[in-house]
Amino acid sequence: MKAYKGALLTCDAAVKQILLMMDESEKFIIQDLDDTHLIVQMDQLERVQRMLEVELEKNTYSLDPQ
Amino acid sequence: MPPKRSAEGSSAPTPTKRQRRGLPAQSAGLDNPQYDVPLSDDEPLEDLDLVSDVGDDASSTDNIAADSLIPRGAKLNLSALARKARQYERGARADLVSHMFGDQDFAYLQLKGDHTSRPLWIDPVDGHIILEGFSPIAEQAQDFLVAISEPVSRPSFIHEYKLTAYSLYAAVSVGLETEDIIEVLNRLSKVPLPENVISYIRSCTMSYGKVKLVLKHNKYFVESTHPEILQTLLRDQEIRSARVVPGSGGAYEVANGANGGKTKKLLHSTETGSGKGSKAGTPAPGSGAATPMQKPGQAEADLFTSVVGVDQDEIEEDDENTVSFQIMDDKIDDVKKRCHDLDFPVLEEYDFRNDTVNANLDIDLKPITVIRPYQEKSLSKMFGNGRARSGIIVLPCGAGKTLVGITAACTIKKSTLVLCTSTVSVMQWKQQFMQWSNITDRQISVFTAEQKEKFSGAAGIVVSTYSMVANTRNRSYESQKMMDFLTSREWGFILLDEVHVVPAQMFRRVVTTIKAHAKLGLTATLVREDNKIDDLNYMIGPKLYEANWMDLAAKGHIANVQCAEVWCPMTPEFYREYLREKPRRRMLLYCMNPNKFQACQFLIDYHERRGDKIIVFSDNVFALEAYAKKLSKPFIHGATAQVERMRVLQNFQHNPVVNTIFLSKVGDTSIDLPEATCLIQISSHFGSRRQEAQRLGRILRAKRRNDEGFNAFFYSLVSKDTQEMYYSTKRQQFLIDQGYAFKVITQLEGLHQMSNLVYKTPSEQIELLQSVLIANESALDFSGSDLMGLQGEQGQKARKSAQKYEAKRAVGSLGALSGAQHMSYIERNKTANRQLAREANSNRHKLFKKRDVAKKQANAG
Repeated sequence: MKAYKGALLTCDAAVKQILLMMDESEKFIIQDLDDTHLIVQMDQLERVQRMLEVELEKNTYSLDPQ
Repeated sequence: MPPKRSAEGSSAPTPTKRQRRGLPAQSAGLDNPQYDVPLSDDEPLEDLDLVSDVGDDASSTDNIAADSLIPRGAKLNLSALARKARQYERGARADLVSHMFGDQDFAYLQLKGDHTSRPLWIDPVDGHIILEGFSPIAEQAQDFLVAISEPVSRPSFIHEYKLTAYSLYAAVSVGLETEDIIEVLNRLSKVPLPENVISYIRSCTMSYGKVKLVLKHNKYFVESTHPEILQTLLRDQEIRSARVVPGSGGAYEVANGANGGKTKKLLHSTETGSGKGSKAGTPAPGSGAATPMQKPGQAEADLFTSVVGVDQDEIEEDDENTVSFQIMDDKIDDVKKRCHDLDFPVLEEYDFRNDTVNANLDIDLKPITVIRPYQEKSLSKMFGNGRARSGIIVLPCGAGKTLVGITAACTIKKSTLVLCTSTVSVMQWKQQFMQWSNITDRQISVFTAEQKEKFSGAAGIVVSTYSMVANTRNRSYESQKMMDFLTSREWGFILLDEVHVVPAQMFRRVVTTIKAHAKLGLTATLVREDNKIDDLNYMIGPKLYEANWMDLAAKGHIANVQCAEVWCPMTPEFYREYLREKPRRRMLLYCMNPNKFQACQFLIDYHERRGDKIIVFSDNVFALEAYAKKLSKPFIHGATAQVERMRVLQNFQHNPVVNTIFLSKVGDTSIDLPEATCLIQISSHFGSRRQEAQRLGRILRAKRRNDEGFNAFFYSLVSKDTQEMYYSTKRQQFLIDQGYAFKVITQLEGLHQMSNLVYKTPSEQIELLQSVLIANESALDFSGSDLMGLQGEQGQKARKSAQKYEAKRAVGSLGALSGAQHMSYIERNKTANRQLAREANSNRHKLFKKRDVAKKQANAG
């Protein structure tokens, strides 16, 4: 018997797909529940959130090219 | 409400309130900023007068009434703001927001006493001008600003303008005086005119008009009355190399004798010409509609008209010793650019009334032709002083650019060359010329791949395309002869339609190979994704006029449009593939998103029921066909045969059953469909702002635009969380600058209640996904003939990549190719029982069981 400390993530379907792809390079998902829910490792949570932020920002247009 | 009154009234309550707040007593002396400001300021006297005028006007009864109407908070705010400005000046940056603005914090600028009745803010750093569009004198201020600066952004309430060298040259060339510009600006500005802006205006306007570029006997000369300026120019390496040195080899030739005589004659006739010009500055020959440009009435109106209106010959031609040197034809561009860099911009004007060398063309507008006020205004900028000035006129699609061009040609009455982008528009131009003017069939000719004809007589009109004239490859015998004909003669006037395409390398030569006295560029969208738009300034001329889209829409010249961006979430399956695919196929994935499909179907259905005629645009031909076939609607793309096209278009126009057509990029510009009232965009050319505007232009000329309460609709379908979101926002920027607002629709109400919705079930969606994934590489491209529409580098790249990928084989797993990648097992003839069983099972993960139970209990309890 093995126990992980996990966090339940609720997200929309698209974000879940991004997370799944990120998971391919570095595992952090414990359980894939359904279209909008995931359980991820607690200690990875912050890193995942950061990476997700970067990923989503790519599709945003801003007036100042910085 | 005049601020003056409120300020006087507020002096009593303000300190009490402040004391209550426990503010330091020392600031109490500053609570009435209106008195301090004009006194402490080194403003010109007239401003002081203005302040006291307003003060005198305000009667005491008004005072009381005004006082009672103003909420307490508003007054307090006003004085508090002024106090903050003071504190800032003292170096105590105590307010909460200044740090957020960084270099852009202009709180130190002193507001003039009556600043609320003045509509302008001027940025002291880059000369941007912000206009309050809601100010009562905004309209006059706008006329003035359009004359001296370039509009950057014009939404409904706050407009932004930019002072540029070119815009100031244009202002000078319509007869504005430097001092008038500065004075009017100062009068309209809330803050005293910054010193550097004043000096910028001075420096730009002073050097203008000293050097002229003239076309004489088919040769270009740089001419000036100041020999020393020419010497300065000739010292420049680039200009010297462009010079044609006459046989004798003098530094410059002093034009006397015949030439000087001509100058004298010119001078004499411009005097008479200007007298005429100032009386009727409106270039509306034949129509006789010589309405004054601005009606006086306001106190400052005379100043405005003297500034905006047309008068005076600003060029000193009193010196007979005009000196000039000849330059090579192909270096014209470089010389013009160089001269501008050296701060001696060349003036290009054509005194067509006194041109006796070139034959006159007998052309006039038909008496029935009516010119709209804004068209007249734009032309008055061009013919401001009785001479033709080269430049660009920017009008929205469907606002009658063609008529402006034709009127200009009718004013100049010389041989005219019209260049446009496609054969279709060549025919349209010819037809429009016949419709609006009295020109005969024999005087107008077209030069296209199919037709090569010359006009009869000494002068006439030739309509052609850029690509015909710019072609460098081998020509047929006939077209070579035609080309020789075009280059051998002097043209009075050259009209460049859709002028934003000109900076592309291929078309640049056109402007130099054809010798024309005056050039007029017409466009709706003076933007390019490469930064070549500035090149137009010296290739053609400054922007003479830019219409305000919102104004025209309000006056009913173009349709009112509701713009909306519809966000369609990607289905998980599509998004999964999207994340793993190469960018090129990603594009196809977000176009083919089943949710977008459904949104498109829903919108078509909805608007067909309203009685709209709908055009659906898709850049991607694969998606276009897929959508059109699935929804069983007719479509047109590059590969559609001409006969079929005509049939489809005619059905769309006249058949009440056909209310929707799908168009690829071919429909972006040339196809004219005034029936269309609704537009849906499912895929587009990346972030091209021009395309967005051109597409919007398809519905701006809607026939029904003058029906009461009529709105045209423009939808952009965007797949969420994809690159498309980025492009979509970028594309909208141009229209936003014109004052359009895009609403975002995240959910279409009633979408899921539709009975015959396509791709409803996951299995259908997966099937669609498979078809996308196995789609041929060529499906990812734009169709071949559509590539012509692309511009410059991007177009070339796309063309190249189209060639490159044509024969490429894709590597894919057998699973993907057979369509089995996403399911281990699929049963074709499912029993309904099993389907039911699966649905029952697929409810919720058992982890949530506890939660659900708890919820149930909570509900029960």
